[in-house]
Amino acid sequence: MENVLEWLEATANRLPDKIAFTSETDSGEDVEVSFKDVSNKAKIIASLIIEDGDKTPVGVFSMRSATTPILFMACAYSNRAYAPIDMALPKARIGKILDNLSPDVILVDKESFESFSKLAKELYADKTWKVVVVDFGCDIIRTYSDSNYDAPSQENKMTEESIAEDKLSKARASHKGEDALYIIHTSGSSGRPKGVVTSHESLINYIDSYGKVMGIEESDRFGNQSPLDYIAAIRDIYLPLKYGASSFIIPKKYFMDPNQLFTYLNDKKVTSIGWSVSALTVPLSLGAFEEVKLDTLRKICFSGSVMPCSALKVWQENLPDALFVNQYGPTEATASCTYYVVDHKVDESEVLPIGNAYDGYDVFLTDLEDDSKVIANEDKEGQICVAGISLAIGYYNDPDRTNDSFVVRELSDGSKKRIYKTGDIGVIHNGLFEFHGRMDRQIKHMGHRVELDEVECAANSVDSVTESCCIYKKEKESLFLYYSGDATKRDLSLALRELIPGFMVPRKIIKLDELPKLPNGKIDIRTVEEM
Amino acid sequence: METKETIIEILEEIRPDVDFENETSLVDGNVLESFDIVSLVSELSDEFDITIRPKDLVPANFNSVDAMVNLVNTLQDE
Repeated sequence: MENVLEWLEATANRLPDKIAFTSETDSGEDVEVSFKDVSNKAKIIASLIIEDGDKTPVGVFSMRSATTPILFMACAYSNRAYAPIDMALPKARIGKILDNLSPDVILVDKESFESFSKLAKELYADKTWKVVVVDFGCDIIRTYSDSNYDAPSQENKMTEESIAEDKLSKARASHKGEDALYIIHTSGSSGRPKGVVTSHESLINYIDSYGKVMGIEESDRFGNQSPLDYIAAIRDIYLPLKYGASSFIIPKKYFMDPNQLFTYLNDKKVTSIGWSVSALTVPLSLGAFEEVKLDTLRKICFSGSVMPCSALKVWQENLPDALFVNQYGPTEATASCTYYVVDHKVDESEVLPIGNAYDGYDVFLTDLEDDSKVIANEDKEGQICVAGISLAIGYYNDPDRTNDSFVVRELSDGSKKRIYKTGDIGVIHNGLFEFHGRMDRQIKHMGHRVELDEVECAANSVDSVTESCCIYKKEKESLFLYYSGDATKRDLSLALRELIPGFMVPRKIIKLDELPKLPNGKIDIRTVEEM
Repeated sequence: METKETIIEILEEIRPDVDFENETSLVDGNVLESFDIVSLVSELSDEFDITIRPKDLVPANFNSVDAMVNLVNTLQDE
């Protein structure tokens, strides 16, 4: 199997009318998309964006909606990678991502078009790219060319007759498993986002391995927590296609209200979730389980940061028969590379291992100073490295950072491999991997990867900021920014909102006369952490 | 300091880009994000020595500063 479309088509044939994806509008109505809809509509859209032999990526701007996977599959049918971009990101960041991608086709859903055209007029007044806007409510596709967003150059009704079967089968015949499926952007310490390019075969291997570990079947119902442009969403998009199961996109605001969240999971009979650790711990700090219990949930995977066992214990007590799996890994290894099935009732003080490699992944430790030296003995710290079919192709249009993180090494055990250096420190203890922190200053904030350097870089670029130091207070789940300079806290916070995504903007900003320094003149982060 | 002023001060620190005096749809209008609510609940609990329970976490209690003042007053009386 070399193409995710094989899953989609097999399921669309077998269960054409079953609902694959469900989301909720702001007014509380369900939007439902069947497997047949995903396949047919994706083909119709693909017919408009397919160009012979053109494999350049497609930028996708869309809502967190049940129709978004259709846009992704349209790209797959045209044999091009999709690069989902969140319209809510600051303009400057969207600009950086688009500059790096330089797409010649952009797919937009109707709901995102107004914001997109505003941004495009401002940043890219004379682009010749083709902007294809899909109105799923009315089944109409409008195409805009030459940066004229006032009137479409073409308008098509979405009908099956408009499927260009010839072009699609030609693209299909030339497809290979190593072709790029998507490009997902993550934080980069210099302030330039990195576009992680992942192939069909990498994704297929991950979904196969995950499905096996979690015991996924057709009757499962998934509750999606993550934004659809984010790596964690691949489970909620592709598990349904493979297994014929259904996904429910949970409105973001429910995560602030545990009673509403749990009621939603019960109403939709959700059986399986793969959430960030904070999506499980935050509801507990807001009193989850006190007033509403969960009736149907029985498979729970968590990842993104270290799960505190005090929180896991509460989940286990409330769902004694459920399966809990701790998962670890970076976007560069297709979401995850190791897993640990929690096989006992945890006690509050223990630290969960990250376990063993998923099928198709090769995970090992290398010496912290010399990444060609493999560490085989137990209880010695090393850098966690990953090899195997699920490694990303690299960072899009960025050979320098690709060559830096993805290296071919002749290892001390005699093998020669392409490996990804995670920058994470690990040890092997009793045959299981454990996570021991970062080699650099990357942190996980409510499921999002944040480079503290990037926040400081943005703060230092603001006029009247002399120096800054960003730290993460885990117990408060908050980013703190200490700075010196004439800028007011308010000005700094407002300026940061123009430069970096909302989740990276520190919610606590503290002005100091001067930042504490080490003898060598560098900022003394330890002292700042204790402030 | 009055409860209302203290709450506005806390809110402005978390989100200086929002006009809290006049906004009446902070949650329903998607002005506040989950990151904000988590910070806000912890700050309010510390500042006013109250416990905010799940049944209190409905949008009606957080849509405006006045609603938050009411919530804090009610919880302080408990």
